[in-house]
Amino acid sequence: MKLSFILVLSAAGLALAQQASSVIPKVKFTDTRLDNGLRVIISEDHYAPVYAICVAYKVGSKDERPGRTGFAHLFEHMMFKGTENVGVGELDFLIYTNGGNSNGTTNTDRTSYYEVLPKNQLDLGLYLEADRMHALAITPDNLENQRQAVKEERRQSVDNQAYGQTSEKMEELVYDNFAYHHTVIGSMSDLDAASVDDVKAFFKTYYAPNNAVLALVGDLDTKETLAKVKKYFGAIPRQTPPTPVNLDEKPKTAERRAALTDPLARLPRLDIAYRIPPAGSADTRALGVAASILGGGGGFGGRGGGGGGNTSRLYNLLVNEKEMAVQVSAAADRRAGPGMFRISATLRPGKDPKQVEGLIGEEIAKLYSQPVSEKELKRVRMSLLRSAENRLTALSRAQALADAAAVYDDPNRVNTEIESQLVVNAQDIIRAAKANLVNANKTVVVTQPAGRGQ
Amino acid sequence: MKLFILYSLFAITALAQEPAVSFRGMTRMNRAPVSNEVLKVKLPRPVERQLPNGMKLLILESHRAPTVSLTISIPSSPLHDPEGMPGVAEATAALMPMGTTTRTARQISETLADIGATVSFSAGAGGGGGRGGRGGGGEGGGSISVSALSENFDEALAVMSDILLHPSFPADEFEKWKTRQRSAIEQARTSPTGLGNEMMMKVLYPGDARQFTRLTSESLNKLTRDNLIEHYKKFYVPSGEWAGIVGDITPQKAMASLEKALGGWKGGPIAKVTVPIQSPIAEKKVYLVNRPGSVQTDIVLTNRAVDRTSPDYIDCLVMNQVLGSGPAARLFRIIREEKGYTYGVSSSFTASRTMQHFSSSMLVRTEVTEPALADLLKEFKEIRDVAVPKEELEGAKRTLVASFALGLENPATVLQRWMQQREFGLPADYWDTYTEKIAAVTAEDVARVAKKYVPYDNVQIIAVGDGAKIRELLKKFGPVVETAAEAQ
Repeated sequence: MKLSFILVLSAAGLALAQQASSVIPKVKFTDTRLDNGLRVIISEDHYAPVYAICVAYKVGSKDERPGRTGFAHLFEHMMFKGTENVGVGELDFLIYTNGGNSNGTTNTDRTSYYEVLPKNQLDLGLYLEADRMHALAITPDNLENQRQAVKEERRQSVDNQAYGQTSEKMEELVYDNFAYHHTVIGSMSDLDAASVDDVKAFFKTYYAPNNAVLALVGDLDTKETLAKVKKYFGAIPRQTPPTPVNLDEKPKTAERRAALTDPLARLPRLDIAYRIPPAGSADTRALGVAASILGGGGGFGGRGGGGGGNTSRLYNLLVNEKEMAVQVSAAADRRAGPGMFRISATLRPGKDPKQVEGLIGEEIAKLYSQPVSEKELKRVRMSLLRSAENRLTALSRAQALADAAAVYDDPNRVNTEIESQLVVNAQDIIRAAKANLVNANKTVVVTQPAGRGQ
Repeated sequence: MKLFILYSLFAITALAQEPAVSFRGMTRMNRAPVSNEVLKVKLPRPVERQLPNGMKLLILESHRAPTVSLTISIPSSPLHDPEGMPGVAEATAALMPMGTTTRTARQISETLADIGATVSFSAGAGGGGGRGGRGGGGEGGGSISVSALSENFDEALAVMSDILLHPSFPADEFEKWKTRQRSAIEQARTSPTGLGNEMMMKVLYPGDARQFTRLTSESLNKLTRDNLIEHYKKFYVPSGEWAGIVGDITPQKAMASLEKALGGWKGGPIAKVTVPIQSPIAEKKVYLVNRPGSVQTDIVLTNRAVDRTSPDYIDCLVMNQVLGSGPAARLFRIIREEKGYTYGVSSSFTASRTMQHFSSSMLVRTEVTEPALADLLKEFKEIRDVAVPKEELEGAKRTLVASFALGLENPATVLQRWMQQREFGLPADYWDTYTEKIAAVTAEDVARVAKKYVPYDNVQIIAVGDGAKIRELLKKFGPVVETAAEAQ
C-alpha cells in the first residue's frame, strides 16, 4: 500500500505534505517490547507538567461470539470495579484526588483505558494500569451492577433516542460476517446472559501483556519511565495469544433495503451505506476524502451562525438548493476490517426519501466519471490539517499511538496516515468510487416517524 | 517554544493524602503508590491592551500550534429579544454569515473553507445553560469567534470584519433559514434531555427571555427580516466588552491586525442588560413532561442558587466536588455504581452573568424512577445534614487543586480563566491564591452552603418520561404539573 502512496504524490500533494509537517510536528517516540510481550511506546512532550497513559487491548466487539454481543464493552466497565489491591471506587478516587482524570472506550476493534495525571504521579498511573491487567476482582456483584449501568447506557444511546435502531439495522445489513454484523453496545438479552465465567475467560484470553499496547506521552524522561514500566508490568505473565478473528466479507451481490418505523422520531431519515476496504487501503483513504467533499463539514449550529461551515456537495444540493433535507452528512468509517461509507439525510416533513435517494445517487455517479476539483481537494486538505491540531494534547497522542499500534501494528501511522490522506487526488477518488460505491454494494435504511410525524 | 509556566511541588498539611479510610461507596486499600506532593501551578498571565474603539483585549501568546483563536464579546443577547419574540438574537447571529453587501453565503463559506478557517457568531446563552453533568452555560452574552492558521489569520479576520460591518441579511436566505428552523424545532422535540432542559429554564427563569432555550414556532411565524436588522444595528457594536486572543501571535501583531480589521467598527457603549439575581423558588413542585413510549425517565433536580461573585462560591465548588462532580463523587459512587440506576449522574452549579442555579440530572429506566429519585434526594439530605468525613473532604479539595495542572495543557483554557476574572471583576490575584482559598474550606462551610444551595424541601423536580407509567408515583414527591412533550 505504501507504493501507491509514492506513485500518486503530485506536486500539489507534495507541497501540502510539506506544509503538514510545518503545521503538525512529527510525533517522536520509542517503541519497546518487554519480555512478556507488552509493547511500550513512550513520547516525550515537555509543554506542560502532565502526562497521559493509555493501555489498548487488542479486543473489541469483533471478537464477540453469537449470544454474547456487547460483552467487550461490558468487560470494559468491569475494569473500573477494583482489583485485589484497589478497592471498589478507589481507582477513580486515587486518580481524581491527585488531579487526574480517566476513562475507557470500546469499539469494534479494540478496548482502551487512559489516565491523565500531573507529572509527579507517574508511579500511580503505572501501578493502577499494571494492577488491573493482572489482578482484576471478578465478582458476581461487580458484574451485576455494571450490567445495569451498561443496559442504561444502551437505553440512553439507542432505545430512548430517535433513530437509535437505525444504526443497529445498518450494521446488520452491511456486514454478513458476525464480527461486524452487530453493534458494540450489544443486545439486552445478550447483556443479560453474560456470566462471571465469561468474564473470567475473557480476562485470561485478552487482558494479557502480549495482547496489549502501553503508550505514555508527556512530561516524562524516556529512560526513567521505561525502567518504571518494567518494574510495574514486567512480572505479569504472558498468556496464549488469542486466535485472530477473520474479518473477511464475501462481496455483496445485490442492494439491501429496510424500512423502519420509529415512534420517537419526528422527521423521516434516509441512510445509505456501502461496505469499503479496511483502513489503510488506498481506496478507503480516497473515499474518506470523497465523503468530505460529498457531505463533510460542520453546518450551522442551533444558536448562531458559522461561516466556513458547510460547502459540501450534498449540503448545497439537498439543504440549500432543493430544500428537501434539514441536514445531511457523509463519512467513511475506517476499521481494521471492512469499513463503511455512510450518507445520512434528515428530511423535511413530507419529503420523499425515494426522490432524495435518487438525487444522492446522481451525485455518487458523478464521482465515477468527473474528477473532483482541485479547489474541493484543497478544502479537504485544509480541514485535515486543522483537525490534526486536536492531536496536540498528551492524551490524544497517547490514544492515537496506542490505537495505531494495537489495531494496525504501526504506531508511526500517527505520522504517516495524514500525509497519505493529503496526497489523495481526483483519479484516486474516481477509481475508489467505481470500485466501491456501486449499487450491488449499497444498503438503504429508511426511517419514518410513527404516529403524528407522518 | 512553550508557554512560560511556573510550577513547583509542595505539600501543605491541609491537602496531604490521608491514611486509608473507606467511606460510602468506596473501599480503600491504600496500596497504590501516591506522591503526597501537589504541583503548585501559577497560570501564565495574558497581556492586556485596548483598541481605539474601546475594545479591551487579553492576549495570551502560545506557539505550540501555528494557529490563532479570537473571541469578541458583543452586547447582543437573547435578553434583548422583544417581549413575545424569543429568538431574535439567535436568528440575527444565524443570518450574519449568510451574506454581505459584496459576498454571498456560499462565497463566505467557500472563502473560509479554502483557508481552513472558521468564523462564527453566537447569540450567547439566554437559556439552555448548564445542568448537572451536561455542560455549563456560557458567560451569558453574544460573541464572535475566529479561528485560523496564523498565516491565514488576517484573511479570516477580513471576512469576519466584512460580515460584522456589512451584513446584508438576504431575504431568500432568511426564508430558507426559517424553513429549516421549522424542521429543527420539530427535531429538537425528540430529545428527552432537550425537553428536560427546556422545562428547567422555564421553571427557573419564568420572568424573562432566559426561559426560552431556543426559538419557538410562534416567534418564528412572526419574525421578520426587519427584526434582525434592528437587533444588529443596536447590539452589534463595541461596548467596552472583553475580547481574548490566544495562540501563535505576538501582542504587537495582534493589535495591528485587529486595528486594521476592526478600526471601522464603532458605536456604543450601550447599557449592559442586567437581570436580577433571584432567590430560590420556595415551594416544592414536580413538572412532568409526558413523552409516551419513553423507556427512560430524564430527571432533573434544580433550584436557583449562587452568584459567581458570592463569597460562598468557592465553598460551593468544594461541596459539589464531594456531592456530584465526576466519578469519585457520591452521586456517581452511590447512584450509578452501587445502585445501578443510571449510566450517568452528576450535579453542578451554573454561575454565569445571567444564570445562577444548581442542578443534578440523570436518565433512569422507567421502572426505577421512584427509588432513583428517592435515593438522589436522600443524597441531598445527607450532604445538608451530616458533616462530611474529613478524608472525603480533603479528597475533594485535593481534586480541585491538583487538577489545576492539567488545564495548563490548553492555552485557551488558561485565557478563559483570566477572561472570567475580568468579566466578573474578581481580584487580580484570584487564580494565584486559588489553592489557598480551596484549602481554607472547612466541613462547616460545606454543610452551610449545602443547606443554603442544595434544594431539598423546595426542590424543583423535572421528569421527562412516559406519563402513564410515572404520573402516580411522582405525586409522592410533590404537587405535579403536567405538560405534553408535543405541546411545550
